Amino acid sequence: MSSWLDYTINGLIVGNVYALVAVGLALIFGVSRLINFAQGSIYLVGAYIGWVAVVQLHTPLPLTIILVAVVAALVGLIIERFGLRPLQNSVRIAPLLATIGISFVLDQLVMLTFSPNPRALPSQLPDVRFQVGGGTIGPLDLLIAGVGLTSALLLFAFLRYSKLGWAVRAASQDRDAAMQMGVDVNRVNQAVFGIAAALGGVSGLLVGMYYNQIDTAMSLQATLKGVVAEVVGGAGNVPGAVVGSLLLGLVESYGVAVFGTSYRNLFAFLLLVVVLVLRPNGLFASARQAPPEPLTGTFIAPSRPLRIPRWALLVTAAVFAILPFFPVSFYVLQTLINAWLLGMLALSLTLVAGTVGQVSLGHAALLAIGAYTSALLSLTLSVPVGLAIIAGGLMSAALGTLLISPSFRLRGHYVSIATLAIGEIVSLVILNWESVTRGPIGISGIPPLSLFGYDLISPASIYWFSFVVMVVLALLQGRLLGSHLGRSFRAIRDDDIAARAYGLSLNRYKSLAFIFGGFAAGVSGGIAAHLYSYINHETFNTQQSILALTVVILGGLGNVVGAIVGAVALVGLPEVFRIAAEYRILIYGIVLLLLVRFRPQGLLGTI
Amino acid sequence: MSNIDRRTLVKGSLAAVMAGASFSRAAFAQSSEPILLGVSGPLTGPNAQYGTQWKQGFDLALDEILAAGGINGRKLAYQFEDSQSDPRQSVAIAQKFVSNPGIVMELGDFSSPASMAASPIYQRGGLVQFGFTNSHPDFTKGGDFMWSTSVSQADEQPLLAAYAVKRLGLKKLAVLHLNTDWGRTSRDYFVKAAKEHGAEIAVTEGYIAEERDFRSTLVRVRDANPDGLILISYYSDGALIARQARQVGLKQVICAASSVYSPKFLELGGEAVEDVHVGTRYFPEDPRPEVQKFIAGFKKKYNGLEPDAFNAYSYDAMNMAAAVLRIGGTDRRAIRDAFAKVKDVSSVIFGTATFDVETRRVKGAMNAELVVRKGQFALWDGKPT
Repeated sequence: MSSWLDYTINGLIVGNVYALVAVGLALIFGVSRLINFAQGSIYLVGAYIGWVAVVQLHTPLPLTIILVAVVAALVGLIIERFGLRPLQNSVRIAPLLATIGISFVLDQLVMLTFSPNPRALPSQLPDVRFQVGGGTIGPLDLLIAGVGLTSALLLFAFLRYSKLGWAVRAASQDRDAAMQMGVDVNRVNQAVFGIAAALGGVSGLLVGMYYNQIDTAMSLQATLKGVVAEVVGGAGNVPGAVVGSLLLGLVESYGVAVFGTSYRNLFAFLLLVVVLVLRPNGLFASARQAPPEPLTGTFIAPSRPLRIPRWALLVTAAVFAILPFFPVSFYVLQTLINAWLLGMLALSLTLVAGTVGQVSLGHAALLAIGAYTSALLSLTLSVPVGLAIIAGGLMSAALGTLLISPSFRLRGHYVSIATLAIGEIVSLVILNWESVTRGPIGISGIPPLSLFGYDLISPASIYWFSFVVMVVLALLQGRLLGSHLGRSFRAIRDDDIAARAYGLSLNRYKSLAFIFGGFAAGVSGGIAAHLYSYINHETFNTQQSILALTVVILGGLGNVVGAIVGAVALVGLPEVFRIAAEYRILIYGIVLLLLVRFRPQGLLGTI
Repeated sequence: MSNIDRRTLVKGSLAAVMAGASFSRAAFAQSSEPILLGVSGPLTGPNAQYGTQWKQGFDLALDEILAAGGINGRKLAYQFEDSQSDPRQSVAIAQKFVSNPGIVMELGDFSSPASMAASPIYQRGGLVQFGFTNSHPDFTKGGDFMWSTSVSQADEQPLLAAYAVKRLGLKKLAVLHLNTDWGRTSRDYFVKAAKEHGAEIAVTEGYIAEERDFRSTLVRVRDANPDGLILISYYSDGALIARQARQVGLKQVICAASSVYSPKFLELGGEAVEDVHVGTRYFPEDPRPEVQKFIAGFKKKYNGLEPDAFNAYSYDAMNMAAAVLRIGGTDRRAIRDAFAKVKDVSSVIFGTATFDVETRRVKGAMNAELVVRKGQFALWDGKPT
C-alpha cells in the first residue's frame, strides 16, 4: 500500500513542475485567447540565463531568481511588442503562427549561443532530504511548490483586487467594450506577457535545477505538458491550471504504476481528451460561463483571396510536369517530391482547418496511420503497392474520422488541443502495440513504390507519381469546394449556429471533411513509407503536424493552390538556407515571422 | 596500420606523400583538390548535440590524417549537411550527395528513421553509406553499399551482462532502457545474456527519449526488489535516472551501458553517479596506443575536454574512411569493394577493426569495466561497491 503513497507523492511533485509552465500559459490564454507556443522557449531562455547567473556570475539564489525573472519578462515584452501587437487586427490564427515562429527563433538563438550540449545547472539550495513515504523530497521540491502556489495566489489576488487586474479581466471578457471604457488594452497585454514570461523563465530555472540538467530540446516538451495541464484545468483559469497540473502529474504517475513507463504520456493525453469531451471548458469552469471562443467565425476571418488565372495555373503545372526532362539534379527532384508529399498533407489540413474551421494539430497521425497500413499490407500480405497506398488512405480516412469524432462538439482552440492529444495518442499506440507495429524497432524493408508491376525507382518516376497524385487530389478538392458541400463547410466555419439553424448536420459535414482529408493525408503517408523503406513511431512526429499547419496558414486557410505553394515554400526554404548551416532554422523562423507579419491571411489568402 | 607510434606514422606518411606525388605526376593530376566525404547528421533540432560531437571527432581525425600525409597525398575533407535527423531531409541530402560526383562516400545519419530512409537512395545511387552509430539490426541489410562500424548490440550487451552478473555478482536485475530501436534491441540482447548467466530479470521499463521524470518508474523498480539496476541509456537520461534513484532512496548497484560514457554523465549526475559501473570500449588510462593518441590529441585540440563515446565513434569512423580510401581511391564502387579489403584498422573502439563481409559490420569490440570513483571514470578494481 505504501507504494501508492509514493506514486501519489511523485505525481504531485511532477505536477508541481508542470504547474509553473501551465500558470503562465493560462494567464496569456485568459487575456489574449492565445496558446502561446513561445512559452516553452521563454522557459528555455530562463534556464540558460539561470545557468549564466549560477555558474558564471555565482549569484545567490534570490538574486538569480530576480535576474531570470527580469530578463525573461523583458523577452516577453519584446515578443508582445514586436511579435504579436502588430497582428492585433489581423486574423485570430496569425498570432498562433507567430508564437510558433518566435519559438523557433528563441530556441535557435539559445542553441547557437550555448551549443546544444546539455549542461548541469546545480541547485543552490542545501542538499537535505526529508523522508516522505518510501522516498524523499528536497528543499527544491518545496520551493517549486511554493513558487507555483504563491504565483497562482498572487495572480488570483491581482486579477481580483487590483485595478490593472480588473482591466485584464475586462479585456479578456470583451476587448472592444474594455477599450470603450478607457482600458488601455495594450498596457494590459504588456503586463500579462511580462508576468507570464517572468514566470516561465523562473520555472525554466527551477526545473533545470531540479533535474540538474538543461538542454535546448526542453522547450517543446514543456509547452506540450503545460498546454495539457492548462486545458484540463480550464483554459485561462489560473488556479485551475495549478490543479490541472497536479491532476496530470497524478494520472501519469498512476499510469506508470499500473501499466508501466512506456504508457506514461498515453495517460496524459487520454486525460486531456476525456476532459475536453466531457467538460470542454475545463474541470473548473462553471457551466454558465460564456463559451471562451466567439460564437461567430472570427477565428478564421475570410479575406479576399488572390485570384490566379486558370492559364497561369495550367502553365505552372505543365512546367512542373515536364521538369524532369530538363537537366535538374536529383536533389531538386527529391526536394520537390518532399514538397508534393507535404502538399498532400497540406491539402488535407487546409480542408479540415481552413474550410471547415477545425484547426488540427495532430495531422501527422493521419500520415502515420496511412504509412503503417500501407507498409504492413504490402509486407505481410503482399498487397500490390499501389493498392496498399489506397488502402492506407482509406484506413486513415476511417480511423482518423473515428478518432477525431469525439471532438466534433468542440470549437476553436479546443479542437487544436484535442487533435494534438489524439496525434500523440496515435504515436504512442504505435510505439506500444508491438504485435502489430513492431514498436520502436519499426518496419524495415518496405517494398519500393510500384504501379501495375513496374517499380518506380528513378527519382523522375517517383516525382511524376507523387506529382500526379497530388494534382488529382487538388482537383478533386477544388471540385468539392465549388459544390454545395464546399458552401456548407464554409457555412459551418463562419457561423455554426446559423448553419445548424439552416438544418445542416454539423457532425455529418465535419465527418465528410475528415474522411476526404484523412484519405489525402493517408495516401501521402503511404507513399512516404514506400519511399523511405523504413518507418518507426518517430518518422511522423509532432513537428510534422506543426509544419503542416504552418504550411496551411502560410498558403492561406482553405486555399487549395495556397496549400501547395506553402508546401513548396516551407520545404524549399530550409533547403535554400543550407548554406547557412547551423543558422538555417533561425533564418527560417525569421522569414516565417516576417511572412506572418506582412501577409497574415496567407500568401494567397483565405477562401 | 595498427599500433603505430607517431614517428612511424610520420615516416610512413612521408613515404606516402612521395609515392603519391610521383603517382599523381604519372597518372592523374587532381591532387590539389581534397577528397570529399558527405556527412548527413543533426546540427539543429532535438539531436543537435550528437552532430556537434561528431564534428569534434571528425576534425581531430582529419588533423591526424593530414599530418600523416592525407590520402595518398591528397587532403581529406567532409561536407556536413544538417538533416535534423529527419527522414524527409536525409533523403534530400542523399540525392544531393549521390548526384554530386565530388562526394566519394557518405557518413551517417544519426537516427535509424533518418538513416534507413536514405539507404535505398544510396544503394541505387551506388554511394557507400557508412553508418557508424547505426546499431539497428537491419541497417546493413539495406544493400551492399551499407557498412557500419557501430558496435553491434549482439556484441556489446553480453559484455555488459557478464560485467553485471558474473563480475559484480548481481542476481536480480531491473532493466531501464530507452524505448527506441537501439534501446529495445539492446534490452533484448542484454536480457538473453543475463539469463544465460543465471540472473533473474525482475522488471524492464522502457521510457521515451524526452522523459525527464523517473520517480514513478523507480517506485516500480523498487517494488520489484532487484539487487541491481541496468541502464540502457544515453548520458543525459542516464544521469537523470541515477540522480532520481538516489533521491527516492534506491541504494542498489547501478550498471550502465557504454553510451553513458561521457564527462557529461559525471557533470549532470554529480554525486549520484558515484560508484556507477559502466561497461565501455576504452578508458582514459587504457595503455593501448590508439587510445592514448586519441585522448591526448582530443584534449590538446579541445582545451582539455575529455572525449566521450560519440567522439570516439566519429573519430574511428573518419579513420576507417581514410583507410578505405587509401585502398579504394576515389571511385565509388572501388570504395565499396575496399571495405571488404581493409584489415586491422587501428580503432579506439575495436582495437583493430576488420569488416565481416557477410554482415558488413565489425565484430569484437574491446571491453573495459569502469566504475565512477571520486567523480572520475576509473578501471574497476574488483572491490564491491
